[in-house]
Amino acid sequence: MPDPEKRPETTPEKRFAEEWRNAAYNCFSSGHKFCREVCPVTQVTRNESWSPTAFHANVVAMEQGELEIADVAADYVNCTGCGACELRCPNSLFTGDFYRFRTRTVDLVKAVRGLAVRQGVHQPAWQRWNLLTDERGHEPVLNGTPVDQARVRDWAAGLDLPIGGETILFVDCEAAFHRTSVPRAVARILNLAGYKFGLMHEQWCCGGPAAEMGYEEQARRFARHNLDDWRAGGVRRVLVLDPHDYVTFTEDYPAYFGDAYDIEIVLVVELLAELIREGRLTPHVPVERTVTYHDPCRLNKRKGVWREPREILRAIPGLTFHDVDRVTQWSYCSGAGGGLPVEKPELTARISEQRVGKAAELGVDTLVSACPWSERPLSEAGRARSIDVVDLHELLAESLGVAP
Amino acid sequence: MKYRYQDEMSPPPARRVTDVAITRFEHVFEVEPALMTDHVTQQDFPNWDTLRLVRSRADHLAWMHRHFADKVLSGEELLHDLDE
Ligand code: SF4
Ligand code: SF4
Repeated sequence: MPDPEKRPETTPEKRFAEEWRNAAYNCFSSGHKFCREVCPVTQVTRNESWSPTAFHANVVAMEQGELEIADVAADYVNCTGCGACELRCPNSLFTGDFYRFRTRTVDLVKAVRGLAVRQGVHQPAWQRWNLLTDERGHEPVLNGTPVDQARVRDWAAGLDLPIGGETILFVDCEAAFHRTSVPRAVARILNLAGYKFGLMHEQWCCGGPAAEMGYEEQARRFARHNLDDWRAGGVRRVLVLDPHDYVTFTEDYPAYFGDAYDIEIVLVVELLAELIREGRLTPHVPVERTVTYHDPCRLNKRKGVWREPREILRAIPGLTFHDVDRVTQWSYCSGAGGGLPVEKPELTARISEQRVGKAAELGVDTLVSACPWSERPLSEAGRARSIDVVDLHELLAESLGVAP
Repeated sequence: MKYRYQDEMSPPPARRVTDVAITRFEHVFEVEPALMTDHVTQQDFPNWDTLRLVRSRADHLAWMHRHFADKVLSGEELLHDLDE
């Protein structure tokens, strides 16, 4: 067998296309574009080069030797990793489980970004972001104010949480350094319910954002560190409040570690709904707000988690809740995922404005989210329309009467 | 949904339904895996992903009905319309 690396006509693009060939032709030969109308980027830009269809068609062109990665790397920035396209694609929704073969646009976009980085084709803001993350161990979420290991647990000041133990709470970089009231609310609620948990010894970024932006080696290194830290501390269970981390721990880590991955991952929203169901938490302080709920993409579309957040909202007295069903929300997104706000904040802002506009049509005063990353751009868009953006965990804490 | 790798990667045992189809979850059918070893091979499919698709499909079909199906026609009426 000739070594494909040595064949003169073989390029990195062609080798990449060999791996993604079936996926690419599966889309290219269907080409029905059901995906486009649910894609937040396509919705606000109508740019055909920034559509799930184009992301697949490019692979066909690479296979034919018509494209180099440098020609298209910048196009692949335009994806939030929301998962709408791959779920709405008939090749997933109607036949994916039958064939055990579904559309994987999110993985494809990540893989193309990885190919670009390996080929030395960088996006300037992503390169800087990942360099800083690598230096600090955390994402530089504070716009210039350094984040570091010494301050990763500052959000928990005064809460007396133990370090280590069988169950720990993992707090994403945005929540640990910027949306600090969210993990505080979660910790206080769990304490109220008598649910025992601790914090990590040395928590680094989960590595998910680096993987999304194509910095695969860095992502794996961060994952390795976190898993080793969990093992060293005897951790069996990791509680996760951030949907992005939840995806990283249930999709990326299993892909990196395979059979050796023996950690149980629990989504906090699901745990809280369970504690309410069991009567261990009873929201009782009325919260007088008229709200709608933003289904975070990584919960609703990518994980099928949409009932529990609504269960929690319906348990809070005083709320007037205008729900928008989970299928309608397949086409909603905050624009905050997949590294888009790092490289193209103006595009994230347009997507957030569109999302908040949908909330405004319902006449609500509050948009509730369950994803810390979505809350910064949504809040900015909300300000212009006098709509508050509130985190579900914080709203529940308020109704349970626990102090911030 | 508590995630454990070993649980997710261990699908329920398959039961044959026809020459070309099997079932593992109630009312969920899958192609006979032996038919997908040549050209297109199957992907790693954790249990949560199968169930996510199945439930999303049901939700989507219900949603389509709510939005677009506003009257029920009998087969007879349809045939009658075709004849005209
Ligand atoms: S991703 Fe799916 S829905 Fe979109 S064009 Fe390709 S096959 Fe069609
Ligand atoms: S994952 Fe979301 S943003 Fe990316 S192409 Fe698909 S629908 Fe568009």
